[in-house]
Amino acid sequence: MNISPEVQFDLHRRMVRIRLFEEAAGRLAEAAKLPGFLHLYVGEEAVAAGVCAALNDDDHITSTHRGHGHLVAKGGDLNRMMAELMGKSTGYCKGKGGSMHISDLSLGMLGANGIVGAGSPIAVGAAFANRYRKKGQVAVAFFGDGATNIGAFHEAANMACALHLPIVFACENNEYGEFTPRDQTMAITDIVDRAAGYGMPGVIVDGMDAIAVHEATLEAVERARAGGGPSLIEAKTYRFYNHHGVQNLGLKYRSDDEVARWKERDPIFTLEDRMIENKVATRQQFDDIWADWRAAIDRAIQFAEESPLPTPDQVLVDVYTTGGAR
Amino acid sequence: MSTVGIIVNPNAGKDIRRLVTPATHTSDVTKVGIVRRAIVAATESGAERILLAPDRHRLAERAADGLDAPIQIVDEPITGSRYDTIAAARRFWKEQVGAIVALGGDGTSRDVALGWPDSPLVAVSTGTNNVFPSAIDGTSAGAAAGFVATGAVALDEVGRRSKRILVRIDDADSSVDDVALVDLAFVDTDFIGARAVRDPHTVSRVVAAIATPTSTGLSSIAGRLHPVDRHAPGGVLVEMGAGERSIRVPLAPGSFTTMSIADVRSLADGEEIVFTGRTILAFDGERDRTVGDDGRVAIRIDSGGPILIDVDRTLQLAAERRLFDPPTKTSDHGDVHGH
Amino acid sequence: MSEERKLAYVMAFNEAVSQAMEADPDVFCAGEDIGAFGGVFGTFGGLQAKFGTDRVVDTPISEQAIVGLGVGAAATGLRPIVDLMFMDFICVAMDQIVNQAAKLKYMFGGEATLPLTITTAGGGGLSAAAQHSQSLEAILCHIPGLKVVYPSTPYDMKGLMMACIQEDNPTVMVKHKRLLGMSGHVPVEPYSIPLGTANVVRPGRDVTIVAYGRMVHESVAAAEKLAADGIECEIIDPRTLQPLDTDTIVASARRTNRVLVVHEAVRFGGLGAEIAAQIQEAAFDHLDAPVGRIGAPFSPVPFSPALEQHYIPSSAAIEAGVREAMFRNKVGA
Repeated sequence: MNISPEVQFDLHRRMVRIRLFEEAAGRLAEAAKLPGFLHLYVGEEAVAAGVCAALNDDDHITSTHRGHGHLVAKGGDLNRMMAELMGKSTGYCKGKGGSMHISDLSLGMLGANGIVGAGSPIAVGAAFANRYRKKGQVAVAFFGDGATNIGAFHEAANMACALHLPIVFACENNEYGEFTPRDQTMAITDIVDRAAGYGMPGVIVDGMDAIAVHEATLEAVERARAGGGPSLIEAKTYRFYNHHGVQNLGLKYRSDDEVARWKERDPIFTLEDRMIENKVATRQQFDDIWADWRAAIDRAIQFAEESPLPTPDQVLVDVYTTGGAR
Repeated sequence: MSTVGIIVNPNAGKDIRRLVTPATHTSDVTKVGIVRRAIVAATESGAERILLAPDRHRLAERAADGLDAPIQIVDEPITGSRYDTIAAARRFWKEQVGAIVALGGDGTSRDVALGWPDSPLVAVSTGTNNVFPSAIDGTSAGAAAGFVATGAVALDEVGRRSKRILVRIDDADSSVDDVALVDLAFVDTDFIGARAVRDPHTVSRVVAAIATPTSTGLSSIAGRLHPVDRHAPGGVLVEMGAGERSIRVPLAPGSFTTMSIADVRSLADGEEIVFTGRTILAFDGERDRTVGDDGRVAIRIDSGGPILIDVDRTLQLAAERRLFDPPTKTSDHGDVHGH
Repeated sequence: MSEERKLAYVMAFNEAVSQAMEADPDVFCAGEDIGAFGGVFGTFGGLQAKFGTDRVVDTPISEQAIVGLGVGAAATGLRPIVDLMFMDFICVAMDQIVNQAAKLKYMFGGEATLPLTITTAGGGGLSAAAQHSQSLEAILCHIPGLKVVYPSTPYDMKGLMMACIQEDNPTVMVKHKRLLGMSGHVPVEPYSIPLGTANVVRPGRDVTIVAYGRMVHESVAAAEKLAADGIECEIIDPRTLQPLDTDTIVASARRTNRVLVVHEAVRFGGLGAEIAAQIQEAAFDHLDAPVGRIGAPFSPVPFSPALEQHYIPSSAAIEAGVREAMFRNKVGA
């Protein structure tokens, strides 16, 4: 398959949106303008963009604690996202979820998730419902390398295969479970080595290359839609910032060299270089794209800042759809 | 000192071709097992030193763990890329290794050939397309490598030079030499991307040095049109496009597609062919190098590839020479299990 | 004629599921052994034959994934019934129940609707020991976002199960294992009992007994003995434990002025503590005695019948509890 220029630009724009949103969020957090925890997706943009660009709006994804990128890539509204991060009533979750629960069911984004590994069983449920309705929808479960050490992932992977569901397990292997290197927490190196144990194919792609991720996802999604069952894609990637927050806070769990080496393979800049080399795009076009989305992010921040905080009476709203305790 | 070198490519056998084809997945555990068997067997065959190439997955360490064998993991920087294989092969040349056991697919053998063009090689298939390497158990591979390394079976008796496809890419800024062992394809895509060549419509030209009807991958196109044995000199050039012929080929293992063929012709040993213009070159099945508009690609097939060791023949000679008998009748060799 | 029809508790469950599945194609069931085998207690018997393998799904022994299957399918528009074979196994699925199912709606600002029913079998009395006999309902009632239902009769079972399936919130339906074979009046036609409505099982003027599940029947037996001595017990079965019909309980307490709460779960931190607290908050001035609580001792459920029959509250214990509330023996002694 050759990835068309339109799709190349689409991948690029999705990544730029993520990068700018996350860096803005990071700056706001540093300025103490965002409450709570913040897990930034910077560095891993190629995975969310490459996967989500292969999906339709009515396909489902489940996400992780590092979930902003997935929602942005699925088409999330930046204003409502930024407002949610600030805990405002105009946010996606009306200020009740925040960074770790950001979601948009209308886009099939079934929520970031504060519990590592918990998204995969939910994706299995979405995949089950999709097959049940027979409309050709698929589900994608995003998760990290660390999540493959938790029981929920294994149960989900096994059940998806046992029931032969239309699902893609998309592993963002960023080599660290919070602050602990992957090789201290598992005796294997490639998450795909687990796939055969459930009876599904697993493939490795360069998670710093949106084109590679996209190519792999197109095949995995096509396979799932055609009734071919689950598959696992392991994208080797890296988070440029910390487990949470922006600064390293003197935490020396990763060497500066290592971080620098990965940054050299920045997924956005490498795609830009290649597109320019291929004469598909010009530097000016990219400059314009960055400027446009910078302006959109500024508007999102302004929208969020000007939005009202939720009123205290909202605490008891939406605990139940109907009824419930007092 | 008789030395066997072992290289295991941790990245082999895991790319995207597994999504839509039944290509084999070779897990790290499987690879470690093969290496372990090769170490034990090479030691059993008398190798005095086993050098292991380091790798990012620490497969070599895991394979060596707890074995009573003269193992040494060579000290080379690890990049996690194909350059680890290339560097290891070069290091083995410097260390005067008598035989290399390399685990991987066609791409891994290519990297060994880049690092050490004359390498005495037992190529064990753990890759996706395995035209060059063979499905040999680690035990047999290690035993054969051990006998060749000690000289108990001479390399001349059981080794044969393989062919290679020499590629020189020139453009305004640079000049690069590269090698393929099985096939070189011109692919009309904009990106190296997920590397594997999946879409038959993007393939415009294939040069094959080994092309048998039993080949899978790009060389299967030539293999089913104009077979060329791995030992016959020269190769084949196939141009895709509208022509009078089309052919069904397994472009990936267990996956068939129809290719339209514009032209097929033999390439003589040493004959140079040149192409110009923008393309992406796939070496032994993987998109690897981009060529710009001003690029020039010169291709030539010669017989300067690795010296491939015939494992069956080696072990047969070993049997004839009673090399499997214990050294003396009274020697008390215990069982070696390697688990 | 349906007035006459009698049905076992287990079949009342089965009939509710069957009728709900007939009425709504979005309803499906998933769980361990529920398909061809019909469930280890026969609760899903015959449903797969009737509705097919797509709608009655045998799952791996994977409680987290079973509940996750329900959460994901509910959030994307289906109306799942997922079965956890024994109530003890909710502990395996606790993340999906507590952190996902219960909270998704709230965390997503109300955007998610989870019409999910989790069915399970609770209670002791089968010498099934400490991991297959527990009554863990208090843990579930403590979680905002969940509803918890615990029917004591075949009639309530059908009506409550129907309500659970139709409910747009995650609901846990607890079947008592010792009640499965209990027969009782169950109308053939579909009906539902609104969640959060208690049932006055037996009217009485002297003391209120709040009991649910199998303890309702132990309480009725105790009440009949006490009636012979002229003590008239009013028995209230909340039926839904979350939300709890506090109004009915408090109204009764204000009338009888004495209350005994009975459950099979251990006393400490049990639902009885919550009910007692609510009664004293709402009816303190009406009480003639402390609100009594009958529950299991604070130990795991023992295996040997000799121990278990002592462990599970009996009608004798309830009778003694009522007499204590009536005469305040300890206080007056």
